Amino acid sequence: MEARERLTEAQINEDLLGPTLRTPRWFWPVAGFLALVVLAGVVSFGLMINRGLGLTGLDRPVMWGALITTFVFWVGISHAGVMISSILRLAQAEWRRPVTRAAELLTVFALSTAAIFPLIHVGRPWRLLYWFLPYDFPRMVWPNVRSPLIWDPAAIFTYLSGASLFVFVALLPDFALARDRTRGWRHRLYSVLSLGFRGSLRQWKLQAIAGILLSALILPVFVSVHSIVSWDFAVAMSVDGWHATIFAPYFVIGAVHSGVAAVVTVMALMLWLFGWKRYIRPEHFDSLGKLELAVGIGWFYFFFLEVVFGLYGLGGPDLAMKQMQLTQWPWSLLFGIFIVTAAFIPIPLWMFRRVRRSILAMFLVSISVNIGMWFERFLIIVPGLARKQPFAFSWGTYSPRPVELIIVAASFALVLLGLLLFTRLFPPIPIYDMKEGQVLHQDLQVGRRRVPGIVRE
Amino acid sequence: MVSHEHAPDLTPDRIAQDGLRSLLVSGPRFFAAARILGALFALGIVGFVLRLRGGFEDRAAWGYYAGLFAFLLATVGSAPMVAIGLRLTKANWRRPLARAAELYLVGGVFLFLLFIPLLYLVPSAQGRRTIWFSWPNAPHLWDAWALAMLVVCGLLVLYASAVPDFASARDSLPGGLRQRVFAWLACRWRGRQRQWAVQRGVLVLLGAFYFMLLVLVYTLISSDFAISMVPGWRDPLFPTYQALVGLQAGVATVILTMYLLRRIGYQEYLGVGPFWSLAKILLALSLLWFYFWFSGLIVLWYGRQPVEQNILKLLWYGPYLPLFLLTAVLNFVGPLLVLMWNPLRRSVVGPAIASGMILVGTFLDRIRFFVAAFSVEETGVALEHVPPAHLPDGIDMMIVVGGIAGALFIYLMATRVIPIMAIWELREGLLLRARATVVRLEAIVLGKPS
Amino acid sequence: MARRSVLGLFREPEAAAKAVESLQANGFGENEYEVLTGTPYPEGAFGEKPVKHRLYVFPFIGGISGLSVALLLTIGTQVTQPLVTGGKPILSLPPMAIISYEGMMLGAIIFTVLGIIFESRLPRPAMGLYDRRISEGFVGVLVSCEEDRLGAAERALRDAGANDMKHDTSGGSRQ
Repeated sequence: MEARERLTEAQINEDLLGPTLRTPRWFWPVAGFLALVVLAGVVSFGLMINRGLGLTGLDRPVMWGALITTFVFWVGISHAGVMISSILRLAQAEWRRPVTRAAELLTVFALSTAAIFPLIHVGRPWRLLYWFLPYDFPRMVWPNVRSPLIWDPAAIFTYLSGASLFVFVALLPDFALARDRTRGWRHRLYSVLSLGFRGSLRQWKLQAIAGILLSALILPVFVSVHSIVSWDFAVAMSVDGWHATIFAPYFVIGAVHSGVAAVVTVMALMLWLFGWKRYIRPEHFDSLGKLELAVGIGWFYFFFLEVVFGLYGLGGPDLAMKQMQLTQWPWSLLFGIFIVTAAFIPIPLWMFRRVRRSILAMFLVSISVNIGMWFERFLIIVPGLARKQPFAFSWGTYSPRPVELIIVAASFALVLLGLLLFTRLFPPIPIYDMKEGQVLHQDLQVGRRRVPGIVRE
Repeated sequence: MVSHEHAPDLTPDRIAQDGLRSLLVSGPRFFAAARILGALFALGIVGFVLRLRGGFEDRAAWGYYAGLFAFLLATVGSAPMVAIGLRLTKANWRRPLARAAELYLVGGVFLFLLFIPLLYLVPSAQGRRTIWFSWPNAPHLWDAWALAMLVVCGLLVLYASAVPDFASARDSLPGGLRQRVFAWLACRWRGRQRQWAVQRGVLVLLGAFYFMLLVLVYTLISSDFAISMVPGWRDPLFPTYQALVGLQAGVATVILTMYLLRRIGYQEYLGVGPFWSLAKILLALSLLWFYFWFSGLIVLWYGRQPVEQNILKLLWYGPYLPLFLLTAVLNFVGPLLVLMWNPLRRSVVGPAIASGMILVGTFLDRIRFFVAAFSVEETGVALEHVPPAHLPDGIDMMIVVGGIAGALFIYLMATRVIPIMAIWELREGLLLRARATVVRLEAIVLGKPS
Repeated sequence: MARRSVLGLFREPEAAAKAVESLQANGFGENEYEVLTGTPYPEGAFGEKPVKHRLYVFPFIGGISGLSVALLLTIGTQVTQPLVTGGKPILSLPPMAIISYEGMMLGAIIFTVLGIIFESRLPRPAMGLYDRRISEGFVGVLVSCEEDRLGAAERALRDAGANDMKHDTSGGSRQ
């Protein structure tokens, strides 16, 4: 922590709420562009419904391709939000303050986007409506709870509900602040949303407990969600490279790896777009970088275990599959891109303080990580499926078609658009949290040096 | 919120006095403990010699020995991680307990000596399914090398941490042999800025290395001495599961050590704060126990493959079911039920009870895996028959009791040379702490230099 | 006698704390005054006693409810249509554990959020006596008492250095 300037409450209100109440000039062009990309994705989806799943590159035996990869990717990104927010709250780390809400929002929007993908992938999504409404009670047709594809919606729904409620509860004081500073329709909106929050000592105390208790409750959910998504693959017997016990923690730590990088991306964008130099400082990126270093090394260890034990059985198909992944075109190229962008570039770079404190460097490295992690999921899913059946004549290959790539790009646009639109209505940095940081910040004199300190009861 | 800080009226001189007390004065309790532990240790050596007379042909007979080694790795090998991890994250509440956790690093040498007979029990990796894929001299040379590196790294961490305190001892003793020994150990430490900077760097870097080496050793031990002994058992999760249970047992060891320290007079240093903080970590690790166990189970359970069902039968619900159930209760259900209540979590007794349960549970857990793995005589690709449970005999019990007593005996002896409270670290804490008021609240400010 | 309220606004938290002490000295009970801030202060900053709440009951009730619903769903559905899939038993414990666990956590989280809102005495249809400056950095001390003691309250607030005072027009409720 560095000694920093004291800010008044009024100044913090103006700095952090101002951009919400007054739309910046760049906003509508950027949002418009993103909306166009999302529209292109909707059109592609419409085309898929009209012409069928044959428009995609999916074919026997590769029935899961870029769309499911992106589903797993977004579920992964959604993990960091809660992890950063919850674990840093429980550890009482001061540097969490500007980061928590952006991370939680990333969770909510990434997870909502991820939830759309199974609907897209189903091919004839209206059948889900026929299936649901009404449910086939008379013929006693129930979902098969023994299938991981049923565990998925249970987990994702729980996590999405939990994360959304968490964001809402943490927003109550900021709704109250916005209510106090606005008029007209905004005032009415925030009055309703704030539920009458007044800032009494009881209400603040319960906010503090809410932060800790909800963090403690949502952390086990966060661990379980990506584990359940990983079991979509791991419990299957027939696909090489999928049947490994390590998938659950491997996926979770991979999710944290890509998710924390996504949070760094979002923080850098917030800093540059809203000009919050006083609130998002190099020390936050330094701490995030150290966290990423630890997580990245841990992830690499799990990846290494997965590779070693994948080859362990010395079974023909397993060895051949790994050989295909590493040496055969185009899988070798994708593997090279993955391992360089997700591990060999970021992890050594994060060891250097100068890199961690350079916001541009951290931004670029975080993008690199997520490129690599998308390919990681792709390489887990597709090569195994390509060789799924024992006989060579039923082997296949896969390359994504434009329809799928547009939908994947549209998902990125959707998440960014969601985050941007959120900032129109609500502040993305928790204002009361920043104010609390000011109250708890006092300097200590140690010899000739003034050391920044935190008040602890 | 309860303060995580120790008693406010400590001064640097008080800290030095209390810290050096164990070096200078050995009371009757120390001698009693030394006698008991020494006797049990000798009993263990006798048991070991008796077992040695049976040779290394019958691997099953050495199962409990392997379980003991794994248990000591989980406790003595992992307890220092509490100090190292908290130092890396700069947690202020580590100060009173860091040295007590680090002192377990001296047990590393004992651990290495215990490991040597195990090398005779594991066949070469050539022609077997192992993680070494017919690499030469595997696994003997590489496992021994990894463990040796771990022990050496640990001793260096301990030494770097202890040097300023050796200097304190050197400066406070009047003269004589002990003073000269401490002067030699202190290695011309003068407390210069540069020396402190080097010490900090060494502690951080070697601490991180220790963690990575520990995880490597867990991986190698669990792969070579458990997984590769059982044909058809392919489980990349198991090494990480072992590391996790090891961490859990390490934290439990530190909590119990802290509890003992309070009983011998260090209550002012070890208030509720450190217990509460470690209890939260212990609760998280206990929940993770369930998570890792369940993740391994669901993947092997789902496919109904005969080989995997046999593995599950060997390890969970077959001959070792009672051990598994006890482990589940002692490592998960029990600590969860104790630590989920705020008043119990925020106390001294609650975490101590949970830690006691976890240590017993970890021991049973190690026995379950290593005795089971050592009792499998088949080689090949798949496990055909699940061998019956291998029960301990008198020699096994002597070895187990003697091994645990030996590790504790070495720890006890080490407290005569290295202060059990890190004097320099506690004094640093005093520097970075001051009283403050926030309106009407009397609070403490903790300095956080970047 | 009607209950009336007065809100004193203080620029400095120190002055507000003095006001609270003065109110306590004048015999006002803990349930008669309230401190409103735009920033969370550490507990005890204004000399108040720790807040009593029963929030911890909510996650338990929620967890048990969620667990029951999930168990009912999984057991009920599988028993009514017993179809063996993949050689697994009809009531397979590992999958049931997963869905029950998610149900339990969902119930716990939902009930916890409801509990937080309820224990914060929200939602509050009418704001009552409040001032926008509180979220700009002022500390508000709101006193609700019998009309005859209102004067003493006002004096206590004024003597502590209130920058402004607001009154309610009719019997305003406190929480």
